[in-house]
Amino acid sequence: MDDAGFIFASYIITFGAVGAYALGIIRRARKSSREVPRDERPWL
Amino acid sequence: MTTTDTNTSTNSSPRDRVTGTPFTRGLGVVILAGMTLLIILGIFVSPADVNQGESVRIMYAHVPGAWLAYLAFVVTGISSAAYLWKRTRSLTWDRIAGASAEVGVLFMGISLVTGSLWGRITWGTYWTWDARLTTTAFLFVTYIGYLAVRGLGGTHQQRARRSAVLALLAVLEIPLVHFSVQLWNTLHQEASVAGRGTDVEMDGLMLFTLFLGVAVFTLMYVWLLLHRQRSLALDDMLDDSGLDNALTARRAEAQGVAR
Amino acid sequence: MNQIGNDDEIGTSADSLDLSPRPVSARQRRKRRPWPAIIVLLLVVVSGGVVLTKFLTSAIDYYCNVNEIGTKSGCEPGRRLRIQGVVDEGSVKNDGVNTKFDISFGGETLPVTYDGEPGGIFKECIPVVVHGILTDGIFLGDRVEVKHSNEYEAENPDRVDDEASTAEGTACLQ
Repeated sequence: MDDAGFIFASYIITFGAVGAYALGIIRRARKSSREVPRDERPWL
Repeated sequence: MTTTDTNTSTNSSPRDRVTGTPFTRGLGVVILAGMTLLIILGIFVSPADVNQGESVRIMYAHVPGAWLAYLAFVVTGISSAAYLWKRTRSLTWDRIAGASAEVGVLFMGISLVTGSLWGRITWGTYWTWDARLTTTAFLFVTYIGYLAVRGLGGTHQQRARRSAVLALLAVLEIPLVHFSVQLWNTLHQEASVAGRGTDVEMDGLMLFTLFLGVAVFTLMYVWLLLHRQRSLALDDMLDDSGLDNALTARRAEAQGVAR
Repeated sequence: MNQIGNDDEIGTSADSLDLSPRPVSARQRRKRRPWPAIIVLLLVVVSGGVVLTKFLTSAIDYYCNVNEIGTKSGCEPGRRLRIQGVVDEGSVKNDGVNTKFDISFGGETLPVTYDGEPGGIFKECIPVVVHGILTDGIFLGDRVEVKHSNEYEAENPDRVDDEASTAEGTACLQ
């Protein structure tokens, strides 16, 4: 495949960035959540 | 990642119940499946292009990224308008606006990077200042600025009002970016699917893969938006509770947990 | 259940911890400048200015078509130009140092001398943008960008090489 490196790189960057961002949200939220009572979270 | 298990507080939710719900977990499973299918179709199954060869495969990440970034910025605009319109001045609208802008910046960044790689293969250059690339760069920078303005401090209502006005101005850039390829001579090609013609000039399997990409990116957007919106809500509650950040650190210390 | 001030919720290991909320006055809060946000905002303003300058100086019309040289404002010969045209079939000649080819658009043709090997997916019968200066009727290019179209057609793997020119031929016929 021509330019395989570029093609794989673009997919890795795409899903890697989304994954890293998702993990970041979850980790930060876990940190904050220890201070917030569970029944104040309307989505639960 | 390891701290939640050792926290004995009953206020602390099970680790998967912080911002997640059964809905978002189901959504996550669908996203992983769709992602796998997109990678298989995009990289291996779909055909190479007559002129561009294999490089056309980058399109399946680049185009959905750009479209969903537009959508995210439009959602930011709409929820900012809803915040200003409703008498209640609900901060939920403000947090949806902020979360959506953040996801939009992420997707726009993905689109810029993948587009740059695609450009290196087909045009022969990573970057050039044609109207499409320039207006896109401006849009990207504008929303980074929007996120910075959200972080300037003040009360939550001050933050919401300030950023809502900015969001309503910033969303006006989107038509300029989208139509830049028609208004001016650009190196960037015109839109194939959302262009002025009714004919879509694209091979069937390529088009299917592109729409799969759009579907996967849409689901990723929804997942990220829900989670980010909730984590912003947690942060706001934390501010409201009057506890300063040192408390978190002190409690962690008292329990012998690093971080 | 209210967490604040309720020590029982915290567990035995935190008995010694003072959990009474420490009041943060409005003034104290305002004093804490959000430096990261301010720095990002400054960077945004600067880069926004750069992008805007680029837009006004370079981006509005990225190129002139071959038939617009000397007729459209901003396309005067003698200044640095970016010219768009379709590479003529059979016109590409490489002498090891320079690549010579003709580009056509709107019924007019321009000979190009490019110092080097064009990158990207350069070939005959596709539109390109050449950066350079027009001298004595010849466009001396120092940069070639391939302006690929928005049409996507599957490459047929069964097609042999001499038949591959059919697709290129149709591109040239347009």
